[in-house]
Amino acid sequence: MKKKGLVVPAVLAMGLSTALAGCGGGSGDSENTLSVWAMGEEGKLLDEMTEAYEEENPDVTVDVQAIPWDQAYDKLLTAVASGNGPDVLQLGTTWVAEFADAGALLDLTEHMEDYPDFNLDNYFEGAQTSMKYDDQIVGIPWYVETRTMYYRTDLLEEVGYSEAPATWDELKDAATKLSESGEDVYGLDIDLNDQITPFIFAWQNGFEFDTENPDFTSPEFTEALEYYTSYFEEGISTTSEGIDIIQAFKDGQKPIFFSGPWMINILNDQAPDLEGQWAVATMPAKENNLSSIGGANFSVFHNSEKVDEALDFISYMNEVDTQIEWMEKSNTLPSRLEAWEDPKLADDEMYSVFGEQLENTKGAPPIKEWEKVAQELLSSIERINIGGADLDEELESFNEKANSMIE
Amino acid sequence: MNQLVKGTVRNRHPFIFIAPALLILILFSLIPIIIAFVISFTDMDLKGLADWSNISFIGVENYTNLLADTVFHKAVFNTFFYVVIGVPLVIFFSLGIALLLNYGKNLVFTVFRAVYFMPAITNIIAIAVVWGFLYNTEYGLFNYLLSLADVDKVPWLEHPVIAKLSLILLAVWKGIGINMIIFLAALQGIPNSYYEAAKIDGAKRWQILLFITIPLLRYAIFFVTVTTLIGWLQFFEEPFIMTQGGPLDGTVSMALFIYQRGFQFSEFGYAAAGSFVLFIVIIIVTLLQFKLRKADDDI
Amino acid sequence: MASGKSKGNTERWIATILLIIGGFIISLPFIWMITSSFKPESEILQMPPTLFAENPTIQNYINLFTNMNFGVYLRNTLIIVLLSFIGLFLNAMAGYGFAKYHFKNKEKVFYLVLATMMIPGQVTMIPVYLLLNEMGLINTMAGIVLPGLAAAFSIFLFRMFMATIPTDLIEAARLDGAGEFYIFFRLIMPISKPIFAVQGILTFIAAWNSFLWPLIIANDESLYTLSVGLSLLKGQYASNFALQMAGAAFMVLPIIIIFSFFQKYIVEGFTTSGLK
Repeated sequence: MKKKGLVVPAVLAMGLSTALAGCGGGSGDSENTLSVWAMGEEGKLLDEMTEAYEEENPDVTVDVQAIPWDQAYDKLLTAVASGNGPDVLQLGTTWVAEFADAGALLDLTEHMEDYPDFNLDNYFEGAQTSMKYDDQIVGIPWYVETRTMYYRTDLLEEVGYSEAPATWDELKDAATKLSESGEDVYGLDIDLNDQITPFIFAWQNGFEFDTENPDFTSPEFTEALEYYTSYFEEGISTTSEGIDIIQAFKDGQKPIFFSGPWMINILNDQAPDLEGQWAVATMPAKENNLSSIGGANFSVFHNSEKVDEALDFISYMNEVDTQIEWMEKSNTLPSRLEAWEDPKLADDEMYSVFGEQLENTKGAPPIKEWEKVAQELLSSIERINIGGADLDEELESFNEKANSMIE
Repeated sequence: MNQLVKGTVRNRHPFIFIAPALLILILFSLIPIIIAFVISFTDMDLKGLADWSNISFIGVENYTNLLADTVFHKAVFNTFFYVVIGVPLVIFFSLGIALLLNYGKNLVFTVFRAVYFMPAITNIIAIAVVWGFLYNTEYGLFNYLLSLADVDKVPWLEHPVIAKLSLILLAVWKGIGINMIIFLAALQGIPNSYYEAAKIDGAKRWQILLFITIPLLRYAIFFVTVTTLIGWLQFFEEPFIMTQGGPLDGTVSMALFIYQRGFQFSEFGYAAAGSFVLFIVIIIVTLLQFKLRKADDDI
Repeated sequence: MASGKSKGNTERWIATILLIIGGFIISLPFIWMITSSFKPESEILQMPPTLFAENPTIQNYINLFTNMNFGVYLRNTLIIVLLSFIGLFLNAMAGYGFAKYHFKNKEKVFYLVLATMMIPGQVTMIPVYLLLNEMGLINTMAGIVLPGLAAAFSIFLFRMFMATIPTDLIEAARLDGAGEFYIFFRLIMPISKPIFAVQGILTFIAAWNSFLWPLIIANDESLYTLSVGLSLLKGQYASNFALQMAGAAFMVLPIIIIFSFFQKYIVEGFTTSGLK
């Protein structure tokens, strides 16, 4: 008898859900629709780019779904769990290893010959790291970014630097002098939440990230971290949030910082008065002046049924001309070496510096535990900078933890 | 026999009333919780998610690791810190404001009902920016005001203990709105005749408040206490937007810890185990409240 | 009586003053959010922040509307809002069932309901998605709405309120021959207006801001809501704060309207006549 009481509402609920199912969107999976996931604003812009492609290929419709950056990971997780993925997928370079390891990305090795645009040599050496996982080719770099040094030319001039500091020693010297030039001035701004910065210093000091048994107690790594933390110890950099970097740069309180190409536009938009008083320069060198390379790749989802169409689309997007067009639209930097010969990049005083820096870059190590390792290092650095922990001891324990994380 | 049939027919109503909502809850909450419980005994990561054959059962290893994880210890401590200080404050302020707002029905009070509800509908990014400014050590408004009174700079978000208190203040500010309207609705449920009778008996304002209003609000107070406790035990958004758990893990809460493990590091098994520890804590706290209430007044 | 009134007046004045001071402090971030939406990007992170824009602009709003598939997003959001009110109704029924009926294991079932509040949503996200996938509800409106239709918080709140309705009233109606549903619709619902108003506000806010499921369930943008559309405007590195504030200010407007509409029921209260 009790059961009967439950049947009616159950039927009702089911009726309701089928009725609701009726009002779904219901487009998508037709024969010749290529589904593409792209992130945030780029997703919106990419939608505009596909029209030209569709004109050239009238039998294919490209359906771009833009996904907000902050929720991209959630969305990708459900795709991986259910196999309901797109055909083509934009993937941040630091996520490649993890998703490749999970088998979510199609191995493109056998298709490489058919698509000359995919050739590894077309791309910056640093970017090639993100194309490979184990022995597979899992992605094609779409656009790249690298970190360079932004600095106030006028303020550096005042402390005797008419050129950007080119070495670690010069950087330290210039930053120290700048800090002394006024109250509340911090000669060098280091973003303590940025995962890659400590590794950039380490690379510059000759550190090699062994993806199997990294040694974070090596002299190269230790010295780099000593250099990094010394800025905080000596009060040249601040651990305090202070004010937004744009305003601090404008006010001269943080006259040097490291950042990526997106900062050019932000500075132009938010600090237009500053024009002519700032410049970018390649990283100051120790053993070398390596910087990091990041950006986004195109990958094909592992169970895509439209592999040929997907590859054709990626190939189109990675043609030199399309890349230039995309650069103008999105202000991101092309991944193709050839694109950099274009005067729009080569003759631009800001972009050309990025082009030069890109020649000397390394990508984040292709291990799936990268995020965890990098975050752990930031915690260690926090304990040194704020908690007053001993650097050698912290690195010792970090080394142990990191090595246990990496399988 | 007749009696029995009658009884069942009569008894079917509660099921008809409850079943639709219950079915949905079972389907979309309880079953997923059970699945998550199973996951907590596995080493599931992204690879396991993609292909279930990569998952292996590892017994209670996640739980034993959790007990040994110093960050988790801090998260547990911080969570209790938030709850013990924050929950009474939220209840006190939302009840106090509701009582004040209940004083009148003219335009001023109507407007202020909306004003006190505003934090509940303010965009989270706006909250982060504005409170970030209030708490900024060098340039913040709070420290500026303190400097007028010759008080040294307070590191609002840069000292583990002070940062916890700062986040509590922010969460109290944000939590008042919803509880306030619940209290307001409850206050409306008190028939005027009760007040009138008390007035005729010569009761003073505070006596009415203490002996009539508050006791009659016991359902509402109980509800707000239970849900606020559950909410605060899952304290997440404030450290997530303001401090990311820093400095030195001083503000990391259990829910934030779970989020970071699960959604930054893809350790789903580990995160699920963390959730179940939190789940059990919440159940114990909630059951305790129900038991206490039973002892208090048997309904 | 006269002296009592003047005393009441003084108290009312004190209450008013307290409310004004507290109200100003508490609403500052909200005011800032609104005024910031008229600031150019360069002004928004200025330290100290300006309360009012120095160079006011409506460019943010123009960008907002030109960059979004506004019509589609609004339509989806409104559908979700409407369907959520079905959920509100189901929760009210369940709350009533728990409040006014006695049946075996009632408390145990109720604890089960409460338990669903106690697990962080992220943990159940993937299982729920897989379930919806099995049911073939991916990329449908039903898939978006269904998981959130019943809410323990809401059931609990209804139960607490409906428990205060005198049982005599219901018994009297039964003696008059009223059916159980008649009692619920004609007696309980009108009495429960204040709590329906509260729940109406909360349901509206939740549905209006619905974000994660529309995004997760949708396989193309035709099911996106306003919130998802807004978050698309945020870049990976550049945050477009001013644009986001314009979006947030725009999103809040209907909530204020709904709030003012419903709150009169919260304040009006139920007349005691029905209870006698």
